Amino acid sequence: MHSLRRTRARIAVLAGLFAAALAVRPASSAGSPPAARSLEDYRHFRVASIDLVGRTPTRDELAAFERADFDWAHWVDAALTGPAYVERLTRIYMDALRLEPNLNFTANPAQLFRVQITGPDGKPVNVLYRAGQRRTREATDGEFCLAPDETGLIVRPNAAPIGTPRKTQQNVINAHTVAVKPWWLYRDYKSPHPEQRYQQGWANPDPAFRPVDALLQDPDGKPTMEVRICREEAQEPALGHLYASGRTAKPASPSPVSPPPSGHALPGGRIKPAPVDAAYITQHKGDVVACDTKEGELGAVDCGCGIGLERCMPNSGVGDTPAFQFPNHMPLGPGAPLDSANQSAYRWYPYWWSREAVHFLDYLFDQDRDFREVLTSHTTFVNGPLAQFYRSIQKGSCCGPESAFGMRVETEPLFDPSRVPADLAPQDVEKWVEIPDRGSHSAGLLTMPMYLEKYASARARGAAIYNDFLCKSFNAGQAELTPSEEPDLMKRPGCQVCHATLEPLAAYFTRIEPASFVYLPEALFPVKATTCKKDKAGKLSGPCNALYDVGFFDATGPTLRSGYASPAHANAGAVGAGEDITKMPEFATCAVQRVTSSFLGRAITSDDASLLASLTTEFVQSGYRMRALVRAVAQSDAYRRANNVKEN
Amino acid sequence: MRVGRFLVLALLPACGAAPPEHVTPSQGMPLQPVAVVAIDTAPKEDLRMVPPEVYMRTYLQLFGALAPLDAQKAARGKDGAQLFDNWDAYVSALGFPDYRTDIPRQTQTNALMVATFERLGVALCDRAVEHDLKAKPLLPVSERAVFAFDPAPGAVSGDVATFAPRFDVLHRTFLGYPAALAPPARTPRFLALYRDTAAGHKTADPKSRFTPEEAGWAAVCYGLVRHPEFHLY
Repeated sequence: MHSLRRTRARIAVLAGLFAAALAVRPASSAGSPPAARSLEDYRHFRVASIDLVGRTPTRDELAAFERADFDWAHWVDAALTGPAYVERLTRIYMDALRLEPNLNFTANPAQLFRVQITGPDGKPVNVLYRAGQRRTREATDGEFCLAPDETGLIVRPNAAPIGTPRKTQQNVINAHTVAVKPWWLYRDYKSPHPEQRYQQGWANPDPAFRPVDALLQDPDGKPTMEVRICREEAQEPALGHLYASGRTAKPASPSPVSPPPSGHALPGGRIKPAPVDAAYITQHKGDVVACDTKEGELGAVDCGCGIGLERCMPNSGVGDTPAFQFPNHMPLGPGAPLDSANQSAYRWYPYWWSREAVHFLDYLFDQDRDFREVLTSHTTFVNGPLAQFYRSIQKGSCCGPESAFGMRVETEPLFDPSRVPADLAPQDVEKWVEIPDRGSHSAGLLTMPMYLEKYASARARGAAIYNDFLCKSFNAGQAELTPSEEPDLMKRPGCQVCHATLEPLAAYFTRIEPASFVYLPEALFPVKATTCKKDKAGKLSGPCNALYDVGFFDATGPTLRSGYASPAHANAGAVGAGEDITKMPEFATCAVQRVTSSFLGRAITSDDASLLASLTTEFVQSGYRMRALVRAVAQSDAYRRANNVKEN
Repeated sequence: MRVGRFLVLALLPACGAAPPEHVTPSQGMPLQPVAVVAIDTAPKEDLRMVPPEVYMRTYLQLFGALAPLDAQKAARGKDGAQLFDNWDAYVSALGFPDYRTDIPRQTQTNALMVATFERLGVALCDRAVEHDLKAKPLLPVSERAVFAFDPAPGAVSGDVATFAPRFDVLHRTFLGYPAALAPPARTPRFLALYRDTAAGHKTADPKSRFTPEEAGWAAVCYGLVRHPEFHLY
């Protein structure tokens, strides 16, 4: 592993230093006489500076340009090694892919919520808890660890508590909660006795790691030195055991209108019955489970958030409340933010998913990698929050209906958690580490959470490839959509115009669940499910219907959703998509067209055919290296003539 | 009845007249070339807008290579001049894309964008006058971001010989080439702007923080920072 030589955070700073390097001339050329430059020469130099240095030339750079010994080719080569070049190329693909989130991602069931109860002295006390946490006490099993009868509050994870708060006795608080020094407050949270508190003993945290004030202060305004959390959530072991309460039948909920008859009230004043044991739990009671899986988090009473709560995500309240500060706008990179705002806990990971994608693109262009890696590489980069996400949080996304097929925890994740460096703490937001191989199912951008969440469906994922890496678009033209019950969109009249192409592309993403990054391995989820049968009404059971499409049911069973158009593509997966797409000649011509169009500042026309052909040859012969392509563009007559409209 | 009989009699000669005329297609004569003109098929494009990232990076460079939030702080100042709001207020007007909401980058200027250029430009020029021309003691010319010249105090009336080399410094700073290569009217027009502003400033608000010369140079700076050549390439 090695840290990426340049990160976006440093680009803005380096740009200034780099500019100085561009203006430096060889000692032997000192005093070189000025050369006659035409207005066109100056314009060309300014255009190249804008495109490759990322700003207009300074007076010193103009002076260097005016010297007789100014070497254009050398200048271009120097510019192509600079951070502005990297940013420029990344911008081209970010403009196309738009890999920033407009979504919330709840880290459930690892999401902590914070409730304010009233202490014995009448003062407010904050308590953290997880929604759905199993507890041995029936009064609180699956709920907040203090019962409504003890606090006066009915606590809900996504809304403010209801009820009239009452003073909770200290012995009750102590019995069910405990004080912890968590990762977001202590740099050394893994220590038996953490001392390096944020901005106190921990004097120099990453500037980009900024918990909101509400997480740093107690209700009385004093600095938070410890957080109080339910005892179950505070447990540290990595392994727990499936818990069976012995309850198998759910009692009737009390009427919300009339009080329950005597003897029928739910324990502790809870308003919902405690969870009952599913058949699987009854059969597997006591089985060992990993505490960072959904199964452990929602099925064990002895699974908590780990040391320093490192397997959980804080929240300053219930529902969608802030946790950390980060910028809303940073068009020049995270090192040059335009603002800093309190952000929802739900935006924390999507923010870093986007940075991962940008970091990966920066790496491709900075290191001048074979551009085909954008769709094929196993490499990625993680920082502290992403390490935390890939190490444990992502596991909470699995499994629901998959359990019926024998996958209770994800068996072949797109990002193998074991590849995450152990020494990356969740607070290391500016420390980026290269992961050379994140897993055998990974394929460049295509398997990053940002791509999979931005393009949430298999069709959207396939269409994005088609648009952005083959420069093609779906245009139905005058297609006539007649009513049809044909489930095969490659055949349905009108639809087939686009879907004959789109469906096979979508099939590559059959094994990555929609709006998720859960991978469905072939061994457990064959394209045809022989175990899924239709009922009398011709429908599939819940789990089968969630994952398989009854519309494509044949003698062997229903078809895995999105996979009907090409079982071969379904099994090839995103890795197959990357390999197949990059082998197509349109992949290279699209990359050349996209970059050339950006540098010429106009759409490519048929008049550019010979230019594109020569640039494509250059690009392919260089091993799909962008630096060779951009060098050829910058040296071309077409670039010099790009803005060839003369003033009258 | 009688009218109809007359009508039939009147039409009879016409029906019995010459047979209908037939137009026979004939081979047209080829057009003779009058002159041969080469058709220029090279794609023609008008100047494009400087990307907002480049605009902002250039702006920050002119502001002394500050980080955006530092430049914002400096531009806002503490004098209550209200020259600058905050970057968040300008970010969409400058044409930045918003990937989160799939708003693409703007590639053409619009009225709001031009107004934003104007406001940002005024903030830059005014703060640059304070930094480069009013600092006490004066900064060395080499350390001045914008007005890298001796302002020639007392030269309010302004003659071309005094004005032109100083204007050339600003012209290079903002537009990237010598003023001598610009359209011939450019220097005289900016000289007139300088003179008019400086002269008008003499009789304007006596409490102005700028001297007439400083106001004149600030006006020249405004003119260049909002010049189309600064925003296009």
